[in-house]
Amino acid sequence: MSWITIAWSMVASACLTVAALHLYLGLRRRSRSDLLFAAATVCAAAIGYLEMALMTSPSPERHAVLIRVVQLPFAMLILMLVLFVRSYLGAGRIWLGASAVAVRFLLLAVDLVVSPNVNYLRIDRVLAVPMPWGEAVHLAQGELRPWTRLGQLSSLIFVLFALDAIRTAWRRGDRHRAVVVGGSIAFAIGLGATHSALLMQGTIRSPSLISVAYLAIVAAMSYQLTSDSLRSSQLSRQLDASEAALGESERRMALAAEAADVGVWLYDIARDEIWINEIIRGRRGWTEERVPLARFLAGVHPEDRDGLRAALEDATRTAGRFEREYRLARADGGSRWVSSRGRAEALEGRGVVLRGAALDVTRRKEAELEAARRRDELAHLSRVTLLGELSGSLAHELNQPLTAILSNAQAAQRFLEEGAGRIPDVRAILADIVAEDRHAGEVIRRHRLLLRKGEVRLEPLDMSETVGEVLSLVRSDLLRSGVVATAELPAGLPAALGDRVQIQQVILNLITNACDAVGSAGPADRRIAVRAAADDGAGVRVSVSDRGTGIPAEAADRLFEPFFTTKPDGMGLGLAVCRSIISAHGGRLWASANPDRGATFCFTLPTIETAP
Amino acid sequence: MTPRETVFLVDDDPAVLKSLSRLLDSAGFQPRPFGSPDAFLEAFDPAAAGCVVLDLSMPGRDGLELQEALARRGSELPVIFLTGRGDVPQSVRAMKRGAVDFLSKPVDDEVLLAAIREALGRDRERREGREERAAILERLETLTERERQVLDGVAEGRLNKQIGGTLGIAEKTVKVHRGRAMEKMKAGSVAELVRMLERAGVRR
Repeated sequence: MSWITIAWSMVASACLTVAALHLYLGLRRRSRSDLLFAAATVCAAAIGYLEMALMTSPSPERHAVLIRVVQLPFAMLILMLVLFVRSYLGAGRIWLGASAVAVRFLLLAVDLVVSPNVNYLRIDRVLAVPMPWGEAVHLAQGELRPWTRLGQLSSLIFVLFALDAIRTAWRRGDRHRAVVVGGSIAFAIGLGATHSALLMQGTIRSPSLISVAYLAIVAAMSYQLTSDSLRSSQLSRQLDASEAALGESERRMALAAEAADVGVWLYDIARDEIWINEIIRGRRGWTEERVPLARFLAGVHPEDRDGLRAALEDATRTAGRFEREYRLARADGGSRWVSSRGRAEALEGRGVVLRGAALDVTRRKEAELEAARRRDELAHLSRVTLLGELSGSLAHELNQPLTAILSNAQAAQRFLEEGAGRIPDVRAILADIVAEDRHAGEVIRRHRLLLRKGEVRLEPLDMSETVGEVLSLVRSDLLRSGVVATAELPAGLPAALGDRVQIQQVILNLITNACDAVGSAGPADRRIAVRAAADDGAGVRVSVSDRGTGIPAEAADRLFEPFFTTKPDGMGLGLAVCRSIISAHGGRLWASANPDRGATFCFTLPTIETAP
Repeated sequence: MTPRETVFLVDDDPAVLKSLSRLLDSAGFQPRPFGSPDAFLEAFDPAAAGCVVLDLSMPGRDGLELQEALARRGSELPVIFLTGRGDVPQSVRAMKRGAVDFLSKPVDDEVLLAAIREALGRDRERREGREERAAILERLETLTERERQVLDGVAEGRLNKQIGGTLGIAEKTVKVHRGRAMEKMKAGSVAELVRMLERAGVRR
């Protein structure tokens, strides 16, 4: 057996083995690239056998036939390689690949009709070229057809196609595969085609190398396959490990969620579905793992539903965080409070999802509501107590207008008996009666407002006006106790934000405290001063100063504590309630000693501009 | 038409002051309103006739203090108090100091006017008594020493003879002095004479 037979048989066998491998992989992996590569490699094997036959045959007739036959596997090889590059690298301009294939198939068609074949016009003889290692290689010699140029053009276009594919894949970041696979293809076809062209022209005399050159591609692909399989086994080991860890961490999470009674949810925006864990399913009495958003929202208290939906949409739109407290309406008519928070997350292959956790906060919420209710109750109670102390003032305040009304009316009756001459007096009297009646109504309204029990309602307040109303409430009490009140209530203060009733309660409390403080002082010191002013930092400030006994040192720290009092008949709630009211408004209430005599109580309220 | 009698009104509430003024006007009195005790004291004339209607609780000086201030200035004007609340200790104090009445606001016209009429009556009486006493004292001044001694004896209900004995003069002389004294005093009878001396407070 000659060495050519041995070497080229080995090349062809190697190609066939690799082809079989990739055929198997292609079928197993359903991979088009592997199947195409298998087909291309079968073509290369066929070319190898034909090359071997050519090199060992001395007969020109046989050469003519073999050269004609080799056009078919070569054309198929080019076709398969173009398809393979497109499939494997996902690159390469289609029109380049198609041109290379079209030219090659044109030559194949020509090859079927011309004689002896597409390369030769005629084969004159077969030259036996002696090789250094002994055995000669047989090469055909004769006149070449111009078509051969077209074959070389096809090969050139194919090389360009391969280079272009390499460039695209390189830019895309797929550098390794581009260089190894693409490069080997361009090299093999470029080398094979150039060598065979030189061989045909007789420039060199050597064995035919197309199938040998193809070995470069086989090597590159085998290398790629090996490193792929290495990597995949590595990945599979890592996957196993991380899956185990994931399972463990999932189990821990589930356990923690169950122990802490935390509901876990995931809102799949694309599907408009919510995945919920065991806890939430239990809460809702559901068995499904995923429910449509509409069904999820249907169980939410109607008053909270729109707010929750808006918050979800908001978090989705801004890809931000989500936080909401809402009530779940239960079948038994009761409701549970749920606090839910989460954030938007981009999941590969599923778009954006919202993932979060939900806690049952019913107990906390009920405690909060209860505390707020108690605070309101206490504020109301202390207001009622305060007003009880002022009840004399109400009687007096009403007595004045009632006196004026009665005397006016009785004067009018007398004037009318006197005759028509006094009609103008009667008219003036009636106007005064109307005004006095309104005044009495206003007195009652002010008292009733203060006794009102209800929701805190924030509104813009002119503090000068608000303080002025309180001063008119306590006017007769000041009178009775002989206290002179001076007021500095400038017009045009920035509007403070507050609940009128509660703020008036605080002012009323501070003024009655001040009156009590000066109660035992001499007539000259029975004075209090009430001021409202704009405060640069805090908005609006109201202060009540007295010239009383001041704050005892041991009381200073405890002044605002509930049930602390320095008065013999005090409950000790006034200032504590005042402070809680002012704090709830975002303001501050404090006391300080005056430099000469007495104390000053101040509070601030945020204005509409400074309110958070 | 008789001149209207003056009623002084003191109240710090302008509306009340105005309505009370109108009421008094409609009832035929001459109201003189004052918005504060100090304004009233400033304009006060101790010789003025009439009465005062005072609001009990006013800033600065209250009604009771004003009543005291008036007394210190020698005023005998009768005072009626008006008050917003029925304050028993204060009313007792006011009445003790000679207040005519202590009325609660709102006050009915008939009640207030009756109190005012009563106060004005007292004022009138007081005034008339003072004039009568002045006249009697004036007449007493015209008597001679002897005539006065005889008159005293008559007023004591002694007989002419007894008087003459005491004074060391004849009964007839006593009779002459007595007749002249009774004439000077414009007394028609002994009983009338005794009443006159009592009114003038000179009866020994």
